[in-house]
Amino acid sequence: RGQLGFVVRHINSSTWWHEHLSEENVEFLKKITAEEYKAQTASKLCPLKDEPWPLNKWTPDSIRVGVVAVKLGMMPIWTKSGEKHAVTLLKVQDCHVLRYVSKEESGGKTAKLLVGGKNVSPFSKPESAHEIFKEAGVPRKQKVTTFNVTDDAIIKPGTPLYAAHFRPGQFVDVTAKTIGKGFQGVMKRWGFKGQPASHGQTKTHRRPGAISTNKAAKVYRGKKMPGKMGNIYRTSFGLKVWRINTKHDIIYVNGSVPGHTNCLVKVRDSKLPTYKDCNKNPPFPTFFADGDEELPEDLFDEDIFQFTDPSVTFA
Amino acid sequence: MAAACGRLVPRGAGIALPGRCFSLSGYRVSSGGKPPKFQPPPKPVIMDRKTRKEESRFLSPEFIPPRGRTDPLKYYIERKDMIQRRKVFNIPEFYVGSVLAVTTANPYASDKSNRFVGICIQRGGKGLGATFVLRNVIEDQGVEMCYELYSPRVQAIEVLKLEKRLDENLMYLRDALPEYSTFDVNMKPVPRQDHEEIPVNKVQVRMKPKPWSKRWERPKYNIKGIKFELPEHKMQAAQKWSQPWLEFDMLREYDTSKIEEKIRKELSEELGK
Repeated sequence: RGQLGFVVRHINSSTWWHEHLSEENVEFLKKITAEEYKAQTASKLCPLKDEPWPLNKWTPDSIRVGVVAVKLGMMPIWTKSGEKHAVTLLKVQDCHVLRYVSKEESGGKTAKLLVGGKNVSPFSKPESAHEIFKEAGVPRKQKVTTFNVTDDAIIKPGTPLYAAHFRPGQFVDVTAKTIGKGFQGVMKRWGFKGQPASHGQTKTHRRPGAISTNKAAKVYRGKKMPGKMGNIYRTSFGLKVWRINTKHDIIYVNGSVPGHTNCLVKVRDSKLPTYKDCNKNPPFPTFFADGDEELPEDLFDEDIFQFTDPSVTFA
Repeated sequence: MAAACGRLVPRGAGIALPGRCFSLSGYRVSSGGKPPKFQPPPKPVIMDRKTRKEESRFLSPEFIPPRGRTDPLKYYIERKDMIQRRKVFNIPEFYVGSVLAVTTANPYASDKSNRFVGICIQRGGKGLGATFVLRNVIEDQGVEMCYELYSPRVQAIEVLKLEKRLDENLMYLRDALPEYSTFDVNMKPVPRQDHEEIPVNKVQVRMKPKPWSKRWERPKYNIKGIKFELPEHKMQAAQKWSQPWLEFDMLREYDTSKIEEKIRKELSEELGK
């Protein structure tokens, strides 16, 4: 029907990166990249010595960077009064700041900082994709996100970010892609009630029923119907940070977080107005490992029951 | 006597020949010119009590990580917390079928603590959230309490009687006659030596008349501890639900021997057992 355009025929055979290389060359490339990655991470370990950008003081209006973490799993923790809460473990793995985009460049209201997550092999992507990482002098990352940041919180590209960027007792928002459920019907996707199982229903048990009224004479945009469910970005707001492990860079965050285990999540200071007072005096603009502060291996919130204490008794 | 029969007697030690009860190992008198090659007697293997105990050391089931795609780092972090708790609070070795007494802290009780005695019917959960369910019949009412092993409200866990049963899960005691689930609340702990093997109680439990909460005669539960008084044709009809191919399914195999070894080593280093 209509005009018949030429159908573009694509060449669907793509080679993988080591298809036309000899085994020795493949081994050599792998070895070289591993060494290069090690050298790059080692060179970025002392950000305070490499002419860092000016460090400012925290004000209640400043918004600082967040962090990209890997969701490890969930665990129970107990408070000092014996109540149980479930926490999610988020590991901050090879998190580096990649690029600074100023307010004028981006055209938005605030400056932006691009941050990258877990290290990943550079071979499956074209060279054009490696530009950002080469500029920052950092290995290729699996996830790159933007954080809107005030001008006093900007950080030099290449600085590593750690779990100690957050402190126990503060509140965070966690964004991630939800688990994909595929094409789902209206009962699972939108929670419709469906129809009864018996009493004369003919072939109608999980259907949406009526989709509009008679007078409207159309179906409104955004009508809830079956479709692909999941695999979209969602945020959980106002999650309390219970504990930070500085040795393995793990954040213990209250409740559940969208996404499957081992997925990459974006963690940010909460922007809910109820928690504005709880996030006072954080490490600003970020926590520097080669700075003066010596942190213990585990930082706990005051209410948490630590396993070094004896069992809880009510006096 | 030895000289006369030296050539004919075999060399093995302790072979009872008629009329002779002494061994003639390596003690042959030769008739030829060359002396025989000296064969030292076989070394006796001393089975020490300690070595036997190390081989069959008990590893609590909540330490073994389940099969999945999670990072082993997560289990390592959890185990560190579990070990820390065990250093402060003693969690004894017990199995499903042992009788335990648990004291927990309770803000609403007059003594601020609760004591419950019961038989362990199930151990579930992995890691810090591991639980066990104790069952007892108090004043003709069956009561089951589920406790978390690592909860800070648990003040003491004593094993009153350490024994195993034929099954890993004793949920069928709910449908058994109440005498099998009653235990005296003021029971004294049964004394037991350290090096004795854990006794297996092979009791065959008698059930209340059907209907039961679950069809325990079906092969999926694989229960060995019930004395089924059902007619033969019902037992055979239950076999219709058997899945004999399951034991050969290779995808379901989960070999935990290497993981267990590593965890045992880690535990013994930390807890100094």
